[in-house]
Amino acid sequence: MLKKSRLIALLLMLCLVFPLIAQGQVENAPAKEIELRWASIWVGNDSKAPAVEALVAEYNAKNAGKIKVVVEPQPDYNAYEQKVRTSLAAGQAPADIFTIKFNPTTATFYQSNLLMDFAKVMDTPWKQSFDAGSIEQSTVDGMLKSLPMETAILPIWYNMDAFKKAGISELPTTIEGMFAAFDKLKAAGITPASQMTGDTNAWTSMIWFSHFAVSLGGTNVWDKSFTDPAFVEAAKLTKRMIVEYSTTDAVGLGAGGSGGHFLAGRTAVFSNGPWYAGRADLAATPFFNSIKIAGLPAAGSTKDFMISRLQANICAASSKDKAREAAIVDFLKFLTSAPSISKIAETSGAMFAIKTDYRPVKALQKQFYDVAAAAKTTAFDLEAALGAEVTLEFAQQLGALALGRISAEEFCALVDRKIER
Amino acid sequence: MKHYYASAQIIANLLKWILLVSLLAVALLPLLWLLVSSLRTNLELQTNPFGWPEKLQWVNYAKALAMASLPRLLLNSVVVAASAVILNSIVTAMASFILSRERFRGRDVLYTVFTAGVLVPVISFMVPYFSFITKSGLYNTLLALVLVYTAVNIPVSIFLVTAFMKSIPRELEEASVIDGCGFFKRFSVIILPLSRSGLVTAATFCFIYSWNEFLMAMLLTSSIESRTIQLGIKFFTSQFITDYASMYAAVIITIIPSIVGYVFLHDKIIGGLTAGGVKG
Amino acid sequence: MQAVGTQRSRVWGARVLFLLPVSILFFFFFIYPFLFTIYTSFTSWRGIGSMKFNGLANYTKLLGDPTFRKALGNNVIWALSQGFIQVPLACLVAMILVRKPHFWRSLRTIYYLPNVISTVALAMVWVAIYNVEGPLNAILGALFGAEKRNWLGNPDTALFAVIFQTVIYIGYFMIILLASAMNIPRSLYEAAEIDGASTFQQELNITLPMLRGSLITTMTLAMAYGMRHFESTFLMTGGGPAYATTTMGIDLYLKMDALRYSEASTAGVFLILMGTVVITVLRKIFGSSDPMSEMAQ
Repeated sequence: MLKKSRLIALLLMLCLVFPLIAQGQVENAPAKEIELRWASIWVGNDSKAPAVEALVAEYNAKNAGKIKVVVEPQPDYNAYEQKVRTSLAAGQAPADIFTIKFNPTTATFYQSNLLMDFAKVMDTPWKQSFDAGSIEQSTVDGMLKSLPMETAILPIWYNMDAFKKAGISELPTTIEGMFAAFDKLKAAGITPASQMTGDTNAWTSMIWFSHFAVSLGGTNVWDKSFTDPAFVEAAKLTKRMIVEYSTTDAVGLGAGGSGGHFLAGRTAVFSNGPWYAGRADLAATPFFNSIKIAGLPAAGSTKDFMISRLQANICAASSKDKAREAAIVDFLKFLTSAPSISKIAETSGAMFAIKTDYRPVKALQKQFYDVAAAAKTTAFDLEAALGAEVTLEFAQQLGALALGRISAEEFCALVDRKIER
Repeated sequence: MKHYYASAQIIANLLKWILLVSLLAVALLPLLWLLVSSLRTNLELQTNPFGWPEKLQWVNYAKALAMASLPRLLLNSVVVAASAVILNSIVTAMASFILSRERFRGRDVLYTVFTAGVLVPVISFMVPYFSFITKSGLYNTLLALVLVYTAVNIPVSIFLVTAFMKSIPRELEEASVIDGCGFFKRFSVIILPLSRSGLVTAATFCFIYSWNEFLMAMLLTSSIESRTIQLGIKFFTSQFITDYASMYAAVIITIIPSIVGYVFLHDKIIGGLTAGGVKG
Repeated sequence: MQAVGTQRSRVWGARVLFLLPVSILFFFFFIYPFLFTIYTSFTSWRGIGSMKFNGLANYTKLLGDPTFRKALGNNVIWALSQGFIQVPLACLVAMILVRKPHFWRSLRTIYYLPNVISTVALAMVWVAIYNVEGPLNAILGALFGAEKRNWLGNPDTALFAVIFQTVIYIGYFMIILLASAMNIPRSLYEAAEIDGASTFQQELNITLPMLRGSLITTMTLAMAYGMRHFESTFLMTGGGPAYATTTMGIDLYLKMDALRYSEASTAGVFLILMGTVVITVLRKIFGSSDPMSEMAQ
């Protein structure tokens, strides 16, 4: 008996050794081929994955023997962010190339000398291919340690079929008109809007709040103290939306639930970015062709703006090896070139900070581009402007606000405490 | 008197079965829900989480089985979990033997230190683990995962196995010493077989943990050669979209080996112990 | 003969040898990280940049933080719930199953099944169950005419909801107690049966005392898990609403998300300290002796 189990144990130990040997051990490749590792989130299920994979293959073919880009798939986004933070904190870049969501929290990464400063290696033509505003937003203290790549607008989505059922043919243009339209929707048995206070950022409601706040306080509203009357009023409006014009499970609801209500036709108004437009389950809904993308009626004096943000910025590991640095720059130039970006935009519907001639053909995605182009100014949303910690506090306290446990003033004071100035 | 006894007995029996059945329902519910959900479409899941499939979507299983490198990921998971269990069991058995059967100064302090590890939330050690694994050149290896999983389960395993070993009567050991058993014989012939149920229980916990673990696997590996099946399941998620239907199918597929592992490891081995009496 | 001398050093040598592997692993994966954590808890470190020593500043900030105090309170509730509700329930089931009623083998397997499924899947199911329009409200409404509650979205019910969802899954502790219960010699029960003791009396006078040591072990373990609780709550509510369900583990995790590594370390040190205090107090109250190990010594 003992001998048998010893044998099994030995066999299993051998099983352990085998994979160790089989691990992609060091380069058999010809010497001098530079291998760049890209910890990429654009893999698997992501809508940009096929185009990005094709581009990487194209680049590797063109540069065979000199440069090879190896994609390390990072399918779970939260775990990926965790990995980036952890490796930087442990004194190491997570890979040669990686992406971040640019906001005040991740902007502190610029203080690390693990990141390549593009301001030092960027030539003018390359710089000018980017949208100037995005470059400026990505620059901190003269350092440009991440390149703006994917951008997004966060408009409001209207299910016009539902509006028609309630006898409304045109979108309201004033806030009073909006609430009146919502009352009509309720009378027709349709819940007006998806709202949520759950997850770490109360996503849908956070977007609505941002629209209200910017309209009431201007595009620079995020520089003001959070106890400013603009924020207090925005909080009151958001509370009204959650309590009077949304589903019964809005408090504590997550993004999946919020989207689910809209997809099921239970709510008539929603909010999300361009990535949602490419979803197969959205395309399968009966009202897909009646979705209208627009802003909210202005709650204050600022009008004709759109909430937009930097969705993904590209970072690179700094390197003392000049050849390696040049290789990274070369690949990123290729990746952010107009033809490459057009290819990615075409198959994913995502929006980018690089100027291209690409204009989408599919109706819903076309609306996004049109709305973005028509906006006279843009402003950040709360999460992009104030960072993860403040947004978390916002989400946590929003539930309490909606349940009437705290007043709008108290709500704003609590969030204000988390803002670092 | 007997009359009262009998009806009390019936009520007790009834309550007993009510308890067992309700706990049974609660335990089966998640698995059944996963099974049913894995046969629905994403739209169905989004619009109505608790419903029956309109049409059985076997395509979800096809998609799950077509997952990139599924065989390799499964193999890796099996290797990692099995190795972690073996290593953990061996080192735990050895250490628990000393901590439970040997008397020396500082024994209790040592025991407290080891078992205090149960209180540690492993998430708080992410940075030092990453630092240690990368600096020792173990980044992106299966060995890294094996070592981490073995180590993380040491406190619980020692806690359990020591408790079981403590309950073995001293007379048996003393008798064996009189019969001429040395240190190693005491360990392998007397104590080890008698604490089998404790060892197997600890091994079961270690196996399930290693099979389901995701965070460290994601943190410490980067290529398919050293990734486990839990990361494979995540391929149905992305930054914005989760293909829940296919993901649930993948989850069902990966649960099967862990159920097999549990039934084999635990049920069969401990089940075998209960045949007849253990001690006379 | 130098028998005694070499015997002793041989025994000590064997002891060291047997303790060595565990000690090495424990050092690298617990001691070293813990020292790192303690060190960083006395600095102001944001992940990037240098670690500047700042004494007890993090600790005073932590203790003054109402969210952390709430988290600590929640952890104590978790520890008590797992130790004094979940474990006794598991013990009851173990005592029932050890008498091998019908289907006991299948029941034993099924009760552990939820632990085999990952926590993520379990959390997803229960979020759907607790939904306002979900099955729980539907059943309660049909049976008792109860109104629909937003279990996870209401600060008053959220903590109860997440704890309930954990406490009814008794499989983990059940198999520990079952393994112990099966080690109880049958002869004791047979003797009691002959003396005319009822099942209830047998359980009270034989099983429970014999399980005492195992119960203390399991309760200690359960309380430790309660003190470090993180995953299922985070998946279900993220610590909300308004931090109603937050725990020290969640607070720690969120601090790391915000790159406040020093403060996360402080929370971690505090968590381990509090847990040790709770466990030590428990052992002092209940003592670590039990009949079975008394038999052994």
